Order: sequence, then C-alpha cells, then structure tokens
Amino acid sequence: MSVKKNRNKVLMFGWEFPPVISGGLGVATLGLCKALSPLADVKMIIPKSVPNFDIPNIELIGLNSFTKEQLQDLFNQEHEYSFHEPKFNGKSSYGPYSKIPENEFISQKFYDVLHEDIKPFEIDDLYAGDVIKKVIEFARISVQYSLRQKFDVIHAHDWMTFLPGMELKLRTGKPLVLHVHSTEYDRAGEHSKNWVYDLEKRAMELADRIIPVSHYTGLICERHYGIDRNKIKPVHNGIEAVKHTVKKSPFDEKLVIFFGRITMQKGPEYFVEAAKLVLEKHQNVKFVMAGSGDLLRPMIEKTAAYGIGDKFYFTGFLNKVMLNELLAVADVYCMPSVSEPFGLSAVEAVQYGLPTIISKTSGVAEALTGSMQIDVWDVQKFAQYIVAALDYEGLKKSVVEANNHSLESITWENCAQQVVDVYNSIWEEYQA
Amino acid sequence: MPSICFYFQVHQPYRLRPYTFFDIGHNHNYFDDQKNREVLNKVSEKCYLPTNRLMLELIEKHQGKFKISYSISGVALEQFEAWRPDVLQSFIELANTGCVEFISETYYHSLSYIFSRDEFKKQVDQHRQLIKKYFKQEPKIFRNTELQYNNELASVIEGMGYKGIICEGVDRLLGDRSPNHLYKAPNVQNIKSLLKNYKMSDDIAFRFSDRNWSEWPLTADRYAEWVHSIAGHGETINLFMDYETFGEHQWAESGIFEFMRYMPGHVLKHPDFDFKTVSETVDAYPVRDTYDAHDFISWADTERDLSAWIGNPLQDESIAKIYSLEKQVYDSGDKLFIDTWKKMLTSDHFYYMTTKYWADGDVHKYFSPYDSPYDAYIYFMNAMSDLSIELKKKPIPKLKK
Repeated sequence: MSVKKNRNKVLMFGWEFPPVISGGLGVATLGLCKALSPLADVKMIIPKSVPNFDIPNIELIGLNSFTKEQLQDLFNQEHEYSFHEPKFNGKSSYGPYSKIPENEFISQKFYDVLHEDIKPFEIDDLYAGDVIKKVIEFARISVQYSLRQKFDVIHAHDWMTFLPGMELKLRTGKPLVLHVHSTEYDRAGEHSKNWVYDLEKRAMELADRIIPVSHYTGLICERHYGIDRNKIKPVHNGIEAVKHTVKKSPFDEKLVIFFGRITMQKGPEYFVEAAKLVLEKHQNVKFVMAGSGDLLRPMIEKTAAYGIGDKFYFTGFLNKVMLNELLAVADVYCMPSVSEPFGLSAVEAVQYGLPTIISKTSGVAEALTGSMQIDVWDVQKFAQYIVAALDYEGLKKSVVEANNHSLESITWENCAQQVVDVYNSIWEEYQA
Repeated sequence: MPSICFYFQVHQPYRLRPYTFFDIGHNHNYFDDQKNREVLNKVSEKCYLPTNRLMLELIEKHQGKFKISYSISGVALEQFEAWRPDVLQSFIELANTGCVEFISETYYHSLSYIFSRDEFKKQVDQHRQLIKKYFKQEPKIFRNTELQYNNELASVIEGMGYKGIICEGVDRLLGDRSPNHLYKAPNVQNIKSLLKNYKMSDDIAFRFSDRNWSEWPLTADRYAEWVHSIAGHGETINLFMDYETFGEHQWAESGIFEFMRYMPGHVLKHPDFDFKTVSETVDAYPVRDTYDAHDFISWADTERDLSAWIGNPLQDESIAKIYSLEKQVYDSGDKLFIDTWKKMLTSDHFYYMTTKYWADGDVHKYFSPYDSPYDAYIYFMNAMSDLSIELKKKPIPKLKK
C-alpha cells in the first residue's frame, strides 16, 4: 500500500546556486528548489549566499553568512568528528569543469581541516584554488549545523556536497538521496579513478536513492560505479519557460551554432570536422563556436589549418543576454557532446525554435526524442543533418514540432513531483 | 453456405540507399540494390517459397475446395523476375491450379490515387498487363495501396470496369453491423465492397505468436470453431493480410505453418463452409447494406486512416515535390527517368518517414530500413534533388508533327 507521508522536510546541500553560479548545476538546483517549495519544506545549505536573494518558502543558508561567534557556538558542543574518508588513489583531476593539479595527499587535508581552529567560511570562486579543501571545510561546518536541525531526508547535489550527506546519514540514520548532475566519469572519462570518483562511489553505495538527471547518467552509475540499479531513479531536469522573439538575422549566411565549454567532453572537434564536410558542398553557411575552454585554441588552429577559418566565429564566453541574442538569429543548433548527463542548453535552443542535432550520449536525447540524434564519431551523418536542416524545410519543421511537443513536459514542476515520488518510495520501503 | 475468402498481399519496395548530399550530382543510382536483393532473398526463403509450397499442397489435398487470392505489386514481381525467378515460378504454378485469383492494384504500390489521377490509371493499367503476362488472368477485383479506400474510389473503380473492391472493415463505419457480408458504397451502381474482418485476420497476422494473448496458443481446430460460429449470421469471412505473416512476421517456430496446414481441413469438416476467391465471393453473395466511407480509410495502425503516410511535414513536403515532377518526367520521354520517378512513388518511402513513434512506433520501426524517419526523408530528398537536376539538364524532345 502506498503511504503518503506528510510534507517531507528536506535538508538539501548544494554547491552552485544563483546568483553565485558558474554552470548548469546552479540553474538546476535553483529550478528544482523553487518547484519543490509547494510540495516539501526545503532547507538549502550552500557555500555562499548573497544578501537579499530570497526564494519564497525556501530556507536558504549560506555558510559564508555564519559569524565567528555562531560557529563557535556550534563547535562548543562538537561531537567527535568522523568523516569516512574515501580511499585515496594518488594525484589526479577533481574539478568539476577543469583539471587542477593536485599534489598533496587528501588525507592530510582532512587532518588539517579537522584540526584547524574554527573560522568563518570564506569562498570566492567556487572552483578556484584548493577545491577539495573547501569541500571538506564546507562539510565540517554544515554537518555541525545540520545536526541541530529537524529533517526527514538528506538530498545532496553532486560530489562537492556528498561528504556532509554521508556523514549525516551515518550519524542520524536519515535516508540519503544523491542528485547526480554529472559524474567524474563524464568529466574525465575512463581515467577517472581518482579521489572524486572514490567519493562518488562510496556515497552512491551508502545512499538510499540516487537521482541521476537522465537514464544515460543512471547507466553510468550502474556500470562505472557498480551501483544497484534498483535504487537509481532518473529524473530529467526542467527548464523555465521563456518568452522570446526570433529576430531577423543580420547575416546573409545561415548560422550553425555550438555553445558550451570548449572541452573534450563537449566534442567541439566533431563540430569542426562536420563543418569542414558541410563547407565542401555548401558555401552559404557560417559556424559559431561560443564558449571558452582548454580546446578553444586548438579549435581555432584546426579551422585555420583546414582553410575554413573565415567561415567560423569564435565568440569566447557569452553571458546569458548575448547567448539569447545568438539563439535568436541562429538556424541550427548542435550539441555533439561525448558524454553529457543532461544538456540543458539543447532545451534552451528548443525554446528558440531551432532544429537541434544532439549526441546520443546525452541525457537530453531521452527528453528531446524528436531531435536529430548522432553518434558523435559519425561525422558524415552529423554533416548530413546540418545540411538537411539548412536545406529541407520539412525536416526543420518536423524537428521543431516534435521538440515543442517534448518541451511541454520538460518542466521543473514535473521534475519536483518525481523527486517527491522518490522520497515517498523510501517511506514505502521503510513501512514494508 | 458461408465462405472464407483469403487475400494475401505481396509487396517489396525498391528501398533507397543512404543517398547523401555528397552523392548529389555524381551518383544517379538511388536504390539500394544490395539491400533489396538481401531482403528479397531472406523473405523468399523464410516466407514466399515455403508458403507457396504449402498453399500448393493444400490446393492439391482439398481438390479444388481450398481457394485463395493474391495481390502482388508490380515492383515485387519485377524484383522476383530479376533476382528470384524461382519465387515467380512458384506463383505461376499456383495460378495454374485454377484455385488462385490475382487482384488488381497500382504497379508501384503508390499513393497515386490521392495525388495524381492520371498516374493512378497508368499504374493500374501497367499492373493489369503484368498480371496478364505472368498469370494469364484479367483481374476483376481491385484493391488500393494499403486498403486506402473511400466512396469516391469505389465509384472510380467501378468506372474502370471492376465488379469488386477490397477495403478495411472499420468499426466506426460498421457500427454494430458485421463485416461478414458484402456491402456497397452509397454512390455506386453495382460494384461490391469486400470488408476485411480485421479481428479474425489479426488473430493470425498479429496475435498468433503473442504469448500474452489469452487465446495463445491458437490451434487450427479452435480457429475453425470460431469460423463455424458465424453460421446463420454471416456469408463471408474476409481474411486479408500480408503474405509475410507466414514465416516472416510470425516465425516458423511459432507454428504458423502447421496452423495453416491444418486449418482449412478443420473448416471444411463443416459441410456448409467453403473457401472462395475474391471474385467468386462477389458473384456468390448479394449486397446487404451500404458502407459509407466518406473519408479515407486504410488497414494501417489503430487509426485505420492515412496518417501513416501523409500528414507530417516530412511526408507532406516530399510527396508534394515528387508529384510536382510528374510533367517534367513524362516530358523528358526518358524511360529511365520515368521508371526511377515511379519507383520513388511507392508508398513505403513515406511510411518510413512517419513520426507516430509514440503510439504506433513499434510496427513502423520493424518495417523501416533506416535509423530514423529523418534519415528516410533526407535520403529521399537528396535523391529527388539529383533527379530534378538531371531532368533540367535533359533537353525536352521536340514533338513530332
């Protein structure tokens, strides 16, 4: 029998959160929070909050706002600290978006942080400097704070917040839900057996439920982390509806666009290769690569070497307003990601009525079933789709129609409802 | 004396090869000969040859009491002649028994009735010639591609000299009436409409091997009981289905061949029952009521309408463009152009472009040689672009005075 619990009291841990934001994680965490507020009581703990940024019905707690006195109060009655530190396998990458050289042993960090005097939590750029040290500090303070709060379920977003999630589960016995927006496997591929990977794996093993943002990511949890599929419950992200106007393009040529970080994970190389093929047949087209990243320069060099540099615009990083300008005048959107847990930017392109070409190795491919879908290595097919989307009106119409149909169900309300269903599935299990 | 009227559809299209935009302007061979040959070989071995053998056996065994009808598209017959003459020969042997009737259709299994009445008549005539050539019969009964049918078609077909036309027995048109009688369209003189009994047809064609079906496993004598139960309130059970039901859609391992081997014997145990061909059925029974198909119906999907071929932007654009080339193609006077263009009219090309995935998707996926409807559309559009370019290059022959 289904047991409908009263409103769940959710203790949530996030890392990125608007307006302090550097990627899709913040947008997603905020979107979910807002949509959850009518359905559950959410207390959201983040590293850094900004004064006067409130969300109705959400209790937002930035660790940076704790004064020294408040912290000392918390730690006066500190219980013995017992982080279950994942086994360390040596140096490796750990940043969510970039590789940061790491030479120190992480166990030393734990030692340092746990024996440090209590001082206010300060963080500037969420991913700059010694991220792991910040992650441990975040855990240390937020656990002490949380032990004094009332909650039913712990919900942690991505590896940066898994430490407090695990610790609280072990100390309180409350169920732990991990929300997986991306994994170390997505970021570092097969070479991802590092400390972050170990942390993710340990946390997933301990968790009661795992909510990956797609079935695609769920499969990664199952196959690359060896997690029992029965506790993996994929829930797609939503998107906030926007009103937009498609503008008349100031360009004579058609515009084919790629945007996102210019890193291996996003497959910019495939975009350039496909563009080269398209340009053999089709002159009246230009390609835009918007974003920055470690592969930006190599991509510029590649287009130059192919002699198609004059057909490419590299815009560098675009803010939201500029990005919307670009979407308003573009003709075709491409997302050739090698591994993409979800891919919200494809949904943004859909909101602008663009025909979309997306990789099969993306979560969003499950939601935008009517998009043109490619195996990223199949550059021929990729080029075919670009040309066809430019030349054949019926295809463009058909893809846009199907996308619009899909868009109707890509909402944060749907997402939040499914997350609540996941919470309730835990209570049903407890009852049974 | 109630009858079973079997009609089997035999059709294989000329599938387009993955014709990319790189091919445009260089390569004028649009059809995937290798694939088409492979499919034909596979289906010949699994279905056409063993099933034809079985039908011949049944005809001989029941000494004239077992009769069947076929509609074989012109493009299927062409491919048999080119690649599997043994299959063609086995159909000719069946024709020679006198217990097998051949039905008229469009040579290219096309949607031409809807999009070009001229082309439609040409294709029906072309198909009649072919049936005469191979089977020495003049078809008297017509069936349109995928049982696409409406009142107007019935009247046009009557005007072309046919005495019967085949269509789907659609619930929404029949109401509580039975498909087991002959009907007629409200606007015709004499032509009779044979309605498919979709329930009893689908028991064989779709449900036979479905282990979740409450009647599984269906045996020949059980099925014969159902047939016999219409005694007194029905005259003909029209069992219309794809011939590939035998051995291809329902695998040999499902027992479909054994079912078919014994079913006629069980049916004939009841002295009042027999098997008739389509024109014998039309001759034997009177029209009992009006069947008013104002809008198009078909035998496809749950909707039983044209939505599998027409209606999404991919289909609408490609169909409009290919038919718009008609005059240019004929004006060229070039046999190869004309033949290529006609092969591109085959309805399957547009069926592969359907995006009705969500509801009816499985069936389409099964029948599509491409990864996605988008691919089907792109290859078609690319090939058509090339055809169009080639046509423009060709000078129009001057009319002789």
